[in-house]
Order: sequence, then structure tokens, then C-alpha cells
Amino acid sequence: MESSRDDFVIAIRSAFLKKGTQQRFSLISLIFFSIIFLILGNLNFKAIDYVKIIVKDIVYRSSFIVSEPEKFILNSYDKFLDHFNHYEEYQNLKDNLKVLKSKDLSNEIVILENIKYRKLIDDYFIKESETYAKVLIDNPSPFLRSIIINKGSKNNIKLGMIILDEGYLVGNVVEVNYLTSRVLLISDINSKIPVSIEPGDVQAIMSGKSKQKGTLLYTKNNKIKSNEQDLRVITSGAGRVFKSGIPIGKIKYDINNLYIDKKIVDFYSDFSQLKYVKVVSYTKEQNILDSSSKKNNKDVEDKILQLNQRKENIKILIEEKKIASEIRIKYEEENNYLENKVINLQRQLEASTNINKKNKIDKEELKFLRLNLLYGKKCAKNFYNKLYKVGSVKYRECVLSKGTKKN
Amino acid sequence: MMDRSLRIKYFLYKHTGMFLLFFSILNSFDLNDLGYKYFSFSFSYILIFYFNLKRKEGLGYIPIFIAGLFNDVIIGTPMGISSLIYLMICGAAAYLRNITLRPHLVKDWIFFLVTLLILNSISFFILNFIFSYEVSTYEQLADIFFTWLFYLIFSYIFDFYGRLILGRQYVK
Repeated sequence: MESSRDDFVIAIRSAFLKKGTQQRFSLISLIFFSIIFLILGNLNFKAIDYVKIIVKDIVYRSSFIVSEPEKFILNSYDKFLDHFNHYEEYQNLKDNLKVLKSKDLSNEIVILENIKYRKLIDDYFIKESETYAKVLIDNPSPFLRSIIINKGSKNNIKLGMIILDEGYLVGNVVEVNYLTSRVLLISDINSKIPVSIEPGDVQAIMSGKSKQKGTLLYTKNNKIKSNEQDLRVITSGAGRVFKSGIPIGKIKYDINNLYIDKKIVDFYSDFSQLKYVKVVSYTKEQNILDSSSKKNNKDVEDKILQLNQRKENIKILIEEKKIASEIRIKYEEENNYLENKVINLQRQLEASTNINKKNKIDKEELKFLRLNLLYGKKCAKNFYNKLYKVGSVKYRECVLSKGTKKN
Repeated sequence: MMDRSLRIKYFLYKHTGMFLLFFSILNSFDLNDLGYKYFSFSFSYILIFYFNLKRKEGLGYIPIFIAGLFNDVIIGTPMGISSLIYLMICGAAAYLRNITLRPHLVKDWIFFLVTLLILNSISFFILNFIFSYEVSTYEQLADIFFTWLFYLIFSYIFDFYGRLILGRQYVK
């Protein structure tokens, strides 16, 4: 028993205390150094902070360079695939464009009206600054999800700035270095965002769940209405962390309506494909009623009026078109009816003409038979006269002319 | 005196581990992001454990410490935590090497599982309770499982690589 404990102690001592052949430090000293680094880092020790900033900038840049060959290969592969899917995508885009064009005008009106009403309730945010940044590193750990962008305090990046990808929310800046910044993605489990679920305006907090999904917290499931369509998730603006109305993702409609599925958000943006992102910050508009703001308000109102007029005109044109097409359909129906009537009348006329003809023939035949009884003998051929054979045309003519011979 | 070509080969073999470690940390290609739910594994853990177990001089503690700092910067964890875990893996590997007379892959494999469980628990404790990071337990358990599973595969690959480079000189 004693010797096995000794063996254990010797092995541990050898592993942690003994310096290797080419080791400058023993393991235990480096472990202590790591712990000290951790503790001082947590206490925001100045020297450690400076070391951190320097190391971070060096690592981000070197990581970007190391990743270049692999990025080149992946990009080439993507381009290769794009060429194959080009036609199909083109067709889809064409269809989508048609749909979007029709929605565009209504959207414009809604946005302007929205701005107007938000100004009225003093909740209108305008962009304070906007800058584009390149994603240097998007290599998240299995547990934490963040990206590094190539803009830092040198480019006026500040903590809490919002990161967008084509208008969709990606995350916010959680760490700013001189040349780089770290963005905490909304897919990270530590990210908590106040959101609204539309339609229904249900309020919730969204947390990251997995690489492309989020989960809704602190909301009652029965409040989320199931109206057989995807539900949109947008920022609610509560707590002033994010501006309200930034699209995040959707809750897919599920036929089975499973309880858990109502709380899973599919993000619009694909975080594995981020290359360039927009870094924006918003500020509340100063609602000073000076001449310029009044002019601005008037401009917006004029624009809304113009758009409404355009919308009305389009409505009237659509109505006119509708009426015209209704009249056309009516005329076509009447035309068809009349055509049928003419055809029927023609048939009737034809039938009556046939009857007339038949009647005439019958009348003539009756006259012939009557005269035949009276004058048949005068016209019929026998062995002592040379008159007409019964049934011949000459005989008929003779009978009809009442026995008068015809040469 | 060592033959020149053998020296080159030995140099290659000696620095492959370090090169792989830094490359896997700095490269943005993420084997964990293959689109499978809960699938992830820590290649650096496997690498450090394997090379410290198989080679007496290991990968060098200072480069491992620096690699840990780099890893923390890349993934956004508090600086120093990865270094601590990496160095503790080195310690575990060195301890196993010291107590083992007849090395066997299955024994290494089981010891690696114990090491992973202990070190991930320490990491979870530090992140969760000291730095208030929220870490998904399921994802961490899956990571431990797959890292442990892949150790076997990578062990064969590294052995094969050693034999390929050093030939008969390669000592398991």
C-alpha cells in the first residue's frame, strides 16, 4: 500500500516537476503561470490587458493569413457549384423579383408611415454610423460562437454596436481591440436578445441554441398564435440594447404543431457564410421642432401623400380594368346567346321550308290524282290509240292539262 | 552520427505535431462545423495527449502554453484557460508515460477518457462559475465523447505517419 502511494507520488512529481530534456520550464510552473494569467485577466490587471490586446491583434491577423489557402479552396469550390446552379437560381430569382416588385410599393408606404408614427411617439432611431468590415476569423469553439472583424477602435468601433448581414441581425460587438473586434453571434448561448414575434406582437427573449438556430425564452407558448404560416422574429427594442424591427429569423410552421417547435427560431442569415458585415450604431433622433425638422416632417408627409395618390391611381386603374373585363365577359356571354338563337332560328326556317316543299308536292300530287280520275282515260295509251304510257311524264302533263294533247 | 536524411526526417516528425497544433488553432476550417447537431471534437486535445504520451520530449510546454493563449483568443474564452487545460493534458500524458511499462493503445484510450472527463469538468467549472459563461452540457458531453472516440483513429494515423517518415527508427 505504502509503496504504491510512493509510486504515484514519484510519477506525479516526475510528470509535473521534472523539466524535460529540451524544456525550459517545468509543467507545474507553466500551470501556475496560466492560473495567474486567468486570475489577473479576470481582475482587469492593466499589464495583462495590454498583453491581451497585443496577442489578440497578432493572432487575428496571423489566423487570417493561415486561413487564406483554405478559404481560396472553399471559395473556388463554391464558385464551381455556383456555375452549375446558375440557371436554376436565375429562374428562382426571376420569379422572386416579380413577387417582390409587386410588394415594393406597399412596403415603401408602410415604412414611411412607420417612420412618421415612430417620430410621433418619440421612438425613432437613426443611423449614427455605418461601416463595413471583413470577417477575419469565423472559427467558433464548439461551445462559444463569435467572429472577428477587421475593424477596431481605430475605426471608431464601440462596444455594443450592431452587426448586420444584408439587413439581418448577426450579433453585437463585445470586445474592441485597436485593429480588430469580436462579435458575439446571436447563435451563441450567452446571447440574449429581446424579440417580438409577428403576427401577434408576442414579446420574448431569444437565446442562441445551435449553429443556425435560436430558442425563445420567457414566453408562454399559448400566446404564439398558430395561423398556418411562418412567424417572423424581429428585435423588439426593449431594454434599448437593439433598435426595434431588425429581422432575425422565422419560426417555421409545423403541421404537427409540436410544442417545442414553436420556440425554435431559424435565422435568416447563414453564419457559416459570413464574409463582409455591416457595423452600425443607432441613436435616437433629436425631436427638435426647428425649421429643418419641420421641413423634414413635411417632406415625409408629402412623400406619403404622393405614394398614397399613386396607390389610389393604381387602385382606380385596377378597378377600371376589373369593370372592363366584367363588361367584356358580359358581352361575350350575350354574343354567344345571340349566336345560339340565330342558329336555332335558321334550323326552324329550314324545317318550315322543308314542310312547305312537302306540302306543295302533296298538293300537286292530289291535283294530279283528282284529274287522273277524270281525264286519265283521255290520255292513257291502248291498242286502238297512240296516246301516252301510264306513269310517263307525257301522260302526267296530259292529265294535268285535262286531256289536251300536247305536241 | 545521424545520417543527414534521417536527421531531416526526424526534424519533420518532431515538428509535425507543433505545426498541426498551431495550424488547427489558427485555421478557420472547422471540423466541428460539419452541420451535424452536437457533433464536435477537440483535435488539439488528441494531438497534445498523443504526442506527449509517445514522445518523451513532447511538443514543448512553452509552445503548448502559447498555443493555448492563441486558442483562447480565437474562440473567445478567457485568456489562459486553454493553456491550463492543454498543460494539464501534458501532465496527464506524462504521468501515464511514467507509470506504463508496456504501452497499450486501449489503456491509453481509457486513460484519455478519464483525463477528458476531469479536464472538461474543470473547464466547465471555471467558465460557468467563475466567468459566468453559459456552456451547453449536452454539447460538452458530445465533444468529450467524440474526442475520445477519434483518439483511436488519430492514434492509428499518427502511428502510420511516424512509421512512414522514420521507418524502422520509429519507436512506438
